[in-house]
Amino acid sequence: MELCDLSAYEIAQHVRSQKATAVQVLESCLERIQKVDGRPGALDAGELTAEDRLRVHAFITLTEERARAQAEEVDRKVAAGEDPGLLAGVPVSIKDIFCVQGTPSTAASRILANFVSPYTATSVARMEEQGALVLGKVNLDEFTYGSSNESSAFQPCPRNPWNLNHVVGGSSGGSAASVAAGEVALSLGTDTAGSIRQPAAFCGVVGLKPTYGRVSRYGLIAFGSSLDCPGPMARDVTDAAMMLQTIAGPDPKDATSATVPVPDYIEALEEGVQGLRIGLSPDYFRIAIPDARTGKYHTEPVPAEFEQAVLRAAQVLAEMGAEIIEDVPMPNARYGIPAYFVISRVEAASNLHRFDGVKYGYRTQRTPADLRDLYRKTRAEGFGLQPKLRILMGMYVSAAQYSEQYYQRALRVRTLIRRDFDQAFDPDGAVYVDALLTPTTPTPAFPLEAVYGDSVMMQYADQLTVPANHAGIPGVSLPGGLTAEGLPIGIQLLGPDFREDTLLRIGRAYEVATQDDPWRQEEPQSAHL
Amino acid sequence: MTDYEIVIGLETHIQLNTTTKIFCSCKADSWFDPPNTNICPVCTGLPGVLPVLNQAVVEKGMLLAAAMHAEIQPVSYFDRKNYFYPDLPKGFQISQYDRSLARGGYLDLPMPSGYVRRVSIHKLHMEEDAGKTKNAGRERLIDFNRCGVPLVEMVTGPDLRSADEAAQYLIRLRQLLRWIGVSEADMEKGHLRCDANVSIRPRGADYLNPKTEIKNVNSIEAVRDAIEHEAARQIREVEAGNRIEAWTLEWDEDAGVLRKMRSKETEADYRYFREPDLLSLPITDEWKERVLAGLPELPLERRARFMQAYGLPEYDADILTGERNLSDYFEAAVQAYGGDPKRVSNWLMNDLLRMLNDTGRTADQLKVTPQYLAEILKLVDANTVNTSTGKALLAKVDQSGKAPRAIVEEEGLAQVSDDSAIRAVVQEVLNESPKEVESYRAGKVTLMGWFVGQVMKKMRGKADPSLARGILEELLGGG
Repeated sequence: MELCDLSAYEIAQHVRSQKATAVQVLESCLERIQKVDGRPGALDAGELTAEDRLRVHAFITLTEERARAQAEEVDRKVAAGEDPGLLAGVPVSIKDIFCVQGTPSTAASRILANFVSPYTATSVARMEEQGALVLGKVNLDEFTYGSSNESSAFQPCPRNPWNLNHVVGGSSGGSAASVAAGEVALSLGTDTAGSIRQPAAFCGVVGLKPTYGRVSRYGLIAFGSSLDCPGPMARDVTDAAMMLQTIAGPDPKDATSATVPVPDYIEALEEGVQGLRIGLSPDYFRIAIPDARTGKYHTEPVPAEFEQAVLRAAQVLAEMGAEIIEDVPMPNARYGIPAYFVISRVEAASNLHRFDGVKYGYRTQRTPADLRDLYRKTRAEGFGLQPKLRILMGMYVSAAQYSEQYYQRALRVRTLIRRDFDQAFDPDGAVYVDALLTPTTPTPAFPLEAVYGDSVMMQYADQLTVPANHAGIPGVSLPGGLTAEGLPIGIQLLGPDFREDTLLRIGRAYEVATQDDPWRQEEPQSAHL
Repeated sequence: MTDYEIVIGLETHIQLNTTTKIFCSCKADSWFDPPNTNICPVCTGLPGVLPVLNQAVVEKGMLLAAAMHAEIQPVSYFDRKNYFYPDLPKGFQISQYDRSLARGGYLDLPMPSGYVRRVSIHKLHMEEDAGKTKNAGRERLIDFNRCGVPLVEMVTGPDLRSADEAAQYLIRLRQLLRWIGVSEADMEKGHLRCDANVSIRPRGADYLNPKTEIKNVNSIEAVRDAIEHEAARQIREVEAGNRIEAWTLEWDEDAGVLRKMRSKETEADYRYFREPDLLSLPITDEWKERVLAGLPELPLERRARFMQAYGLPEYDADILTGERNLSDYFEAAVQAYGGDPKRVSNWLMNDLLRMLNDTGRTADQLKVTPQYLAEILKLVDANTVNTSTGKALLAKVDQSGKAPRAIVEEEGLAQVSDDSAIRAVVQEVLNESPKEVESYRAGKVTLMGWFVGQVMKKMRGKADPSLARGILEELLGGG
């Protein structure tokens, strides 16, 4: 096993105990990247070559110098007997939706391709303070708008390490791929409707969407400001806990960050599930899809392999002492996607207003007739299809004459979704559960280009994840098996506000209990490149 | 010709005088700073930044709301007002829309001709300022220093009925803002900016006609002139049988003309929605009480009290409450003096105001403290010094900062009330002026003033003038 394949926990141990230096860890990761990543995502990248199809393409920008300086500093601290930090020498990648001082911070969009941030996002700064090595910025859907990474303006887009002809999911696809392929141990992603959990599920890694406000959004280029959550992506639960420990907590630069004390996530990990009540909801074993013509919903069950993976997990947890509560009602889950369509787009359209070619980023090279023309040309050339669709829809549903019908109504739906969870998590409620266990996605990673272009269907990939964003509650996706085709299956745990500790604890128990499952011994395709 | 009345509503933007901006820690006041020096990622709208509300802005907003008799809301919200402009770096302005800091309110305007106009407050909310755009040839220059400077936007109902009333509103508002210490309210520096909505209607009508909005009226004179021009134009149009269209006009102060900026057929859709980056703003009773404990007696209340409690004429009360420092000074001096308040008022209005105006200071910056003024008045009352010495003392104290009594002693300024000392000098004067003595005795009694002057001159102004006059009369035997 190479250094880069160790968990973050093990790497930090190695570095602290001088079994390996941070610089050696860095070298190992760079070697892995060299081997599996292929050419980095770039604008106007031309046709895909045969070799491109056999690479992961997680990265847009490598920040080798930054990582090396940090690694040397960590090694110096260790040698000098100073505390090198919780993430000492741990290699990390950063979804390129975060600003990192002195690095291109592109949002995978042409409009920000040349933007070099003068400041660093709080969560990135916190990881670096704890000794993490930032190896680079990884790809995503343009401005996070997507579930496959195919919409990135920086191509080739990431390919799934488990099957290079499949998507990584999204929008934190580069993050999931870089972790799954062993290029880094941890990645900082963001989750607005499932953008951490869905790619984590597709790539067979752990992805945690914290409670809204648990992790500062400062420095995260906003999509849906009331939904966005930065969070950890890791190869195991312990690593996710370590990373959350590092990035969680109030931030004076984010008024929506919570002042709730941060518990010791790592300490709580091994406490087991004895006495915990874990719920299953029928509303999470089927997906509801509206007919484009009639608007009527028809429901489809999730694939049998997915249902079985979740039930198997329930069984394992029950054997460890958890109580499984069936038939937890989540009647409003099915409205999560339509409400999200409206709310996220109103916020997105507004958040994109600042990209106008005046201050930074892309500006049209053509001579504008006037100011309005400068805006139009710049935005027409700078934004890809997804931002444009979202601006159009966001402007439409927030217009004075439609706002009540769409936006205000969507906000009311959001309240109902929150109420479903409040009732399920209410200790005095009819069905009280500590967590809900569900599939993360209704499908495994789909083949590249299979769904791209169908905006609505792409969005329904988020149906089981988006309710947590509406409600603001935490959710984690854990690897829960492989399909017959060898693609990862994700299982999801949802919990009450600020109970990431409970979710991690359940996740860890499940991990321990399934340690020897055959699927856990499988390696992704990228391991054989 | 129909008799028309003018209907005016004013929209004001008030720059609060906080140290830092509303959503970041950049310095708020950039008057003396070069462009784009008080800026940061937050106020220039870089990708990924978030606003954090400055509590001092809320507190100043609360003071202003209370001073306008508006009802401070227990919970208010911030909203995004979306529009594109180069000096608006985020492409939206963080403002308050349907649930703002305060509701209702009014300001009373005592008009010089005797009536009081009550102006209702329609809207009062907090928001961030945009930057400044300057056109330089074919280039536009943008200064982001002003981005994020805290504003309160305050809109009146259509309650003003003349250009004078509009001007009076701004005068009273400016007085109030400075009085409660929330804004420097300097119109030239843009601390207080005003747009005027103007329409006309036949006197006595109770409907509102289409209005025009005049932008950029940034002095009290400009407000008066622009409204007068616009009302006259509207009357001409209506008399000529034309319709008034809802234009936006710009007042060119130098040329004294209104220019049409744009037709305003439909309201712009700003797509307001709640600012997701800020939480709701709860104002607890405790917080409100603590902040409003710092709200001083308001100028109009104090003006009324000065008239009632001190028997001051309206004229005096108005001037003495024009500015809070001055009125505080007056009251402190009245207290220290203990005598007739009108006497304090006279000295203040005649002498100290001139000193203030000459040197551009405020009353609290005077070295002649209220206690020193009272001391001088007492010295005059006790005939220790005469009135002119008293007035001269004002300047001496203001220069040196020394106590009046100390200066009187040091410089020997005390009035001589010793009969024999004055008698000796009087005798001397009479001896030296035989011709004048003769004229006086021949009936030219108006020479008495001259004799008194001679005595005062010899005694360097220190003689008690009435005593000197008595002795002169006695020795000249005219009486």
